[in-house]
Amino acid sequence: MKPDFKTWFANVAAVPGMLACGIRRPDGKCAGYGDEKVYPAEKIEKLLKQFAGLHEPLAAAEFSPRWTTRAYEYGQLRYVSRPDKWLLLLLVSPESEAVRELDRLAEDFLTRPFK
Amino acid sequence: MPHKKKIEPDRRVLIVDGEPDHLATMSEAFRALSEDRWEVHTAGSAASARKILETVKPALMVLDLNLPEQDGWQLLASLREQQPQLKKVVLPSLATEEKRAASLAAGADLFLEKPISPEGLKSVFAKLCELLDWKLPEGFQGVLRSVGLADLVQMECQARNSSILELYREQSLGRIYIEDGQIIHAVCREISGEAAFQKLFTLTGGTFELREFELPPERTLNRTWEFLLGEAQRQRELLGQRARSGETFSHGAESVSSEPAGAASEILICSAAGEVLLNWQCVAPAARVKLMQKVARCAESLIPELQLGKLDRLEIQLSDGRAILQPRADRLIFARVGPAL
Repeated sequence: MKPDFKTWFANVAAVPGMLACGIRRPDGKCAGYGDEKVYPAEKIEKLLKQFAGLHEPLAAAEFSPRWTTRAYEYGQLRYVSRPDKWLLLLLVSPESEAVRELDRLAEDFLTRPFK
Repeated sequence: MPHKKKIEPDRRVLIVDGEPDHLATMSEAFRALSEDRWEVHTAGSAASARKILETVKPALMVLDLNLPEQDGWQLLASLREQQPQLKKVVLPSLATEEKRAASLAAGADLFLEKPISPEGLKSVFAKLCELLDWKLPEGFQGVLRSVGLADLVQMECQARNSSILELYREQSLGRIYIEDGQIIHAVCREISGEAAFQKLFTLTGGTFELREFELPPERTLNRTWEFLLGEAQRQRELLGQRARSGETFSHGAESVSSEPAGAASEILICSAAGEVLLNWQCVAPAARVKLMQKVARCAESLIPELQLGKLDRLEIQLSDGRAILQPRADRLIFARVGPAL
């Protein structure tokens, strides 16, 4: 992975209130940050795969989302997919800095020139 | 039966309720409270309501959601375009956040819980009177807009009512206490007083509910309601100007979007099994149902994985608005919200 990507992702993971985050490259390789007990890397990878499975019913319903957000009782989950197959997953605490940063991080991810 | 006394057309009221006892109680109460100045008609079904709407052309319809054959939401949604001038109030026996959101999205102007006491009936009657008296702004092209928070506060104050306005977005955001037409207390999470009142007016995307009055834990406001509403409006406009100029800002502990929420352009409600219960302008209902069922199944399977509790909703951010899916135990709700006009 390019240093630029690593730095960007490390900064994302460091936002206060970020419970976990994961990213999948177009070649299928994944990286994740999170509490090892609650959100180990394998779980984040599995979540990325599960949310990618929603592409088909979303497309069938004629939606091309910029991102999707799931609001849970105790947090939010943002899933962002780029046309070049990069995927981003963010799990954040409610009423945290991370929840307020979700839109900015998603926009940044969509426009940043990763390779 | 309507009374023979001369009634103004704007005092013709239709009550629609599937329970004959409720119809009788409310119609008698409203006739008595209006001192026979209201012409009250009743209907026990959506079909009967449509006939009365065609022939009598009432100014106000008070509607329960549980009707035989066609439910209240379906009737409401169909009247949204057919009878835009008709003022519509939803009065369910049990008010829930889900019902309120669906009712307002389907075109209700006011959502109140059905009263169970004579005092409650009087309070509802007072609110209906205020709504009947409410005139559309000039140049509004004949489309009745939903009553907004500021409108409702103004109505409550002008009528010298006592009530509590509770605001929600996922959970309770805050309360505004009105006693005898005076705003006496506001609380928004950890803040109270004028700052809380103004913050509640700058928040977007939530809903509100009118509750019976109870004394607040403290009194933090003593300015007139005209001043408080004027100041809240000024703050809201200021935030709007900043947003339009591209300035980012935060307000207290929470970032604030000053962009007004857009209107719903599609609503679909189906049972958990996928049976469509309400379809309002939905362009691809089968695909929407399939998507909602997939989201609901996925949400269930992810509960132990995520450890974030139950899923409240899925929001799909689109280039021209948002779509919101709410899986519930007995039904699935879909709404598409277009860009703000």
